Amino acid sequence: MSVWNPENVTDVAESIGIASLNRDVVEHLARDVEYRMSQVLNEALKFMRHAKRTTLTTQDISQALRLLDVEPLYGYESTRPLRFGEASIGPGQPLFYVEDEEVDFEKLINAPLPKVPREMSFTAHWLAVEGVQPSIPQNPLTDPRSAELAAKGSGANNTLAAISGNDNVSVKPLVKHVLSKELQLYFSRISTAILDRTNDDYRSAAFASLRTDTGLHQLIPYFVQFVADKVTHNLKSIFVLTQSMQLIAALLENQSLYLAPYIPGVVPSVLTCLIGKHLGTPAVDGPTTHFALRDYASSLLSKIARQYGPTSSTLKPRIARSCLKHFLDSHKPFGTHYGALLGLTTIAGSQGVRALILPNLKAYDAHLQEGMKDEGKKEQAEFVVSAVLKALESLLEDAMGGAAANGHPKGEAVRERLVEVLGEVVGGRVLEGGRQELIAAVLERDLVV
Amino acid sequence: MAQPLPPSRTGSVGPPSAGGMGAPPASTPGGQGPNSQQNLNQIVLEYLNKKGYNRTEAMLRKESHNLDPNGQPIITRVGDSGGKKWSPAFKLVKHWIENGLDIYKPELVRLEWPLFVHAFLTCVSDCYYDEAQNFFKEFRGEFEEERSQELQVLAKIHVPEHVQTNELASVYRREKYAVALSPMAWAMLVEFLEARDRDGGDVIFATLTEHIRVVTFNRATTARGLQKLMEEKESENKRGVMWGGEGIPSHKPGSANTDPNASSALNKLSLAPMPMEADLMEDVRADLSHDDSMHPPAPGQSTLVDQFEKTIKQEPQDDAAPSRDAIPFPPSTARDVAMEVQKVRENRDRFKIEGRTGGVGPGVSVTMFTFHNTFDSVNCIEFSGDNALVAIGTAESYIRVWSLDNRALTSPQDPPGFQASSSRRLIGHSGPVYGISFSPSAALPEPATNGHTTSAGASETQPRYMLSCSADSTIRLWSLDTWTNLVVYRSHNSPVWDVRFCPHGHYFVSSSADRTARLWSTPQIAPLRLFVGHDADVETIAWHPNGAYVFTGSGVGDKTVRVWSVTRGEQVRIFTGHTGNITAIACAPNGHVVASADDKGEIMLWDLRTGEKTKTLKGHGRGGIWSLDWSVESSVLVSGGADKTVRVWDVQPNKEMQAKANGENGTSAKTDGATTGGGGAVSKTGKAKGPVVSPDQISCFQTKKSPVYKVRFTQMNLVMAGGAYLELA
Repeated sequence: MSVWNPENVTDVAESIGIASLNRDVVEHLARDVEYRMSQVLNEALKFMRHAKRTTLTTQDISQALRLLDVEPLYGYESTRPLRFGEASIGPGQPLFYVEDEEVDFEKLINAPLPKVPREMSFTAHWLAVEGVQPSIPQNPLTDPRSAELAAKGSGANNTLAAISGNDNVSVKPLVKHVLSKELQLYFSRISTAILDRTNDDYRSAAFASLRTDTGLHQLIPYFVQFVADKVTHNLKSIFVLTQSMQLIAALLENQSLYLAPYIPGVVPSVLTCLIGKHLGTPAVDGPTTHFALRDYASSLLSKIARQYGPTSSTLKPRIARSCLKHFLDSHKPFGTHYGALLGLTTIAGSQGVRALILPNLKAYDAHLQEGMKDEGKKEQAEFVVSAVLKALESLLEDAMGGAAANGHPKGEAVRERLVEVLGEVVGGRVLEGGRQELIAAVLERDLVV
Repeated sequence: MAQPLPPSRTGSVGPPSAGGMGAPPASTPGGQGPNSQQNLNQIVLEYLNKKGYNRTEAMLRKESHNLDPNGQPIITRVGDSGGKKWSPAFKLVKHWIENGLDIYKPELVRLEWPLFVHAFLTCVSDCYYDEAQNFFKEFRGEFEEERSQELQVLAKIHVPEHVQTNELASVYRREKYAVALSPMAWAMLVEFLEARDRDGGDVIFATLTEHIRVVTFNRATTARGLQKLMEEKESENKRGVMWGGEGIPSHKPGSANTDPNASSALNKLSLAPMPMEADLMEDVRADLSHDDSMHPPAPGQSTLVDQFEKTIKQEPQDDAAPSRDAIPFPPSTARDVAMEVQKVRENRDRFKIEGRTGGVGPGVSVTMFTFHNTFDSVNCIEFSGDNALVAIGTAESYIRVWSLDNRALTSPQDPPGFQASSSRRLIGHSGPVYGISFSPSAALPEPATNGHTTSAGASETQPRYMLSCSADSTIRLWSLDTWTNLVVYRSHNSPVWDVRFCPHGHYFVSSSADRTARLWSTPQIAPLRLFVGHDADVETIAWHPNGAYVFTGSGVGDKTVRVWSVTRGEQVRIFTGHTGNITAIACAPNGHVVASADDKGEIMLWDLRTGEKTKTLKGHGRGGIWSLDWSVESSVLVSGGADKTVRVWDVQPNKEMQAKANGENGTSAKTDGATTGGGGAVSKTGKAKGPVVSPDQISCFQTKKSPVYKVRFTQMNLVMAGGAYLELA
């Protein structure tokens, strides 16, 4: 009894003109056909396996036939599994055939060309980081329970440890990051110390420790979180904000820490201190103290940009964009504008000043003049003017120089040009400063363009 | 066989047609014949009685008595019943084995498979077609778990010609299958078969002597205590314990010696690293000391020179090193010096992965490279040793190389104005590409963050050549400078499944469906050595890190891992034990342990010195473990396979655990059972019976929909994994 129906053999024999075939011969041939087919299939499976596939394709069969020195079957090439139709030629006798669609030639010619298949490409992602699978879109969702079960190692080791008489096996908690007692203590001490208004020594000792201690890596995320927390909840307290900034500065200074992964978490806090709308309480701290904080934050930002700009291509543009946005928003107070100007100057450098600040100064002038007239805001506006001047100073860096001497317009003409470029207030200040090279550097833009 | 009723004694003694051979009663003419026969018997008996030949008379009475009413002889011996004899005979011995003493069961159970195969094959070749099929169907279920692939092949064997031509069948018929039994079990078996001679014992015994080599071994000497045996029985499945030497090659466990009379002592292997050339060593030392003076080591770091001396000194006394003269290499160049220097630097600076010593196990980081829009046409993925290139071999006969860092792949032959992209297509093969191997290379030194270091050797250490093998039975050597084909190596006469560069370059090995593996050197187009011995396709191949040995693994019908000496071209070890096609082999960088994986989802670790299996790692689903690799310290094994996972394994032999399991009366076995359930839950295949996960698994990382084709530990102990995303699956 073979799977292959002997009647098929009779049919084939009749089709090639052998009318009568002995029953024994037919059965023998049927058995042989079945064996040969399985032989082909077994060879084809090898090709499938080596192609690391789990579906058998028509190419595998062709390859197998070639290996067995048989001419392959042509005309069945297909990159996807064949579709089989089923027809019934009698009760319980299904007949399978390859579905072959009828194609209308006219339609085929007029149909739009099929889309070009997409190019093969690869992407990289972290499947595991130090033994833990990060939950990112590229990785499958893991059920925490199954993850627990998957940690076979711990289970096996519990037994191992229990057997060896060490019964108090520490069970791994659900929190992945475990801090030692000492580090926890250190963290709480430091965080109270730096916010201690009364004791300067205590504070400076804490910062000194942060600057030099080599074993703090574990604590970085906690400090970053701490800073973010303090900054968001203590916008009214210049002291807390300053201390937070100093904490970040201390961490940045620490040679043994690798902060790059945490920079995206640090930058928002610094930016808040730089371009925050209302920092501190003017009644307590005085109306201008926050400018000092903004200065400090901008210096911090420039440090970060210098240190980590090369490793993160999006860091600088992101900071510059948010600074520019705040600078151009005239509804924001002068404090914010001041911070944004500082930020832009430090991040984008002279190129940035030329490209981002200079073209906007003329428009900004109206806002500035308004501020100058208002006694309450005059002081703040002065700071902004100073920041603009500082930004313009940076233009000196890449000024062409030399151009100042020959035939620059003097007197009223210069004034006109300056006002045209910089606006009434700033232009006036620049002129008052009377520094030829600065004027030249500012006006150079016109010459270059 | 129930005893038939004795025929009626009245009037006649013998039934009508005593001894009528093959003549059915219907065809005997009329009633005259039987009557005369009856009369004849009567006459003879009367004659004997009269003459007083009492004993002859008794014998005739007895013999003529054993006929059924139709005159057919009644068969009482199972052995005489033609093709039908196998089923009762096999059932008899199977029943005895399975109800016998528990101590011997694990050994005796191993006899069932070869007996089954030979019973079936003999049955077919005796032309009992239907009986053979019925026998096969009756008992195949017993072996489905362990031998599904063989069963698949055997099931289609119908006629004697198939037995002769089928590869698997002819291997079984030609060679003897070795099974190990303790003397006591063997004696009991023989005794039983003799006692049940008439019930089929003789049939089994004849098969045993003809086709099976029973190796008796002394339990005491093999340290196979009763308790250990019992415990193994508990942990292993009910198919018993596979002995190291079981199977067709019929070798001593571990060794490649197939002579049954040879001593079981193993020949020694030279497993130590290849000694360095004296000139090269000098150059490297000079370079290192220069490096040290340029960049003094950070506090807590040793100098590079010290590190280098340590690695050279570190030669275990019990391992001989292969001699450089035996395996000649071209003289070293500046590139070799740069690579060695880089190796030393990496040795010092890498993130060390310790083995799991009672802890949770090391945290391994894995970067996954997923290929998209492949339409399942990617056959293999390979990363270069400097982690800068990735190559894939496709079913469409071409190879495609990408640079991982998006660097443009330029060639001096590019026409002017040509915009080189970050990928290249290498076209040349005329069949699917199944294997790729880059020539050895070292990762570019990390650019130092403080100060400006441009290391001179950096650009020289990238791979310069690549090998590929294909179903068109050729191997091609490609230049990675010009991106062109340099050499075509033709010698195999079947598809070439795998190709590997020697860890020191210059040589390479290939394995093919023609059942051979061949050793080549890149400048010569003819193979230097042929490694012949496998009884099936050589599916995969790997190098020993010192370049003196080659490992091959083969498919259905053989399923062995063999170790070949490159210098002598002989097999030096054979490892039996896999139940599926061997899909990947990797030797530990320390040179003592080799890991092999099969497509049933098992990984086995073999000790090269003793030739013993040290561990079986279970956990992967079915469908093939496509790649294995070791951490640089040989402390951790990583595997990736068709079940879309990357798994990390502990490879330390767990001696204490087993010892404890004995003492605690198998508590660990119970824990295994508990974790087994967990393993089932982890695998999302939703099968009722999930794969058993052995406790040596440190971690398992699932990908979304990408079978993992390649895993590789970089020299800095980061795992790179590659796979193709399957949209359809």
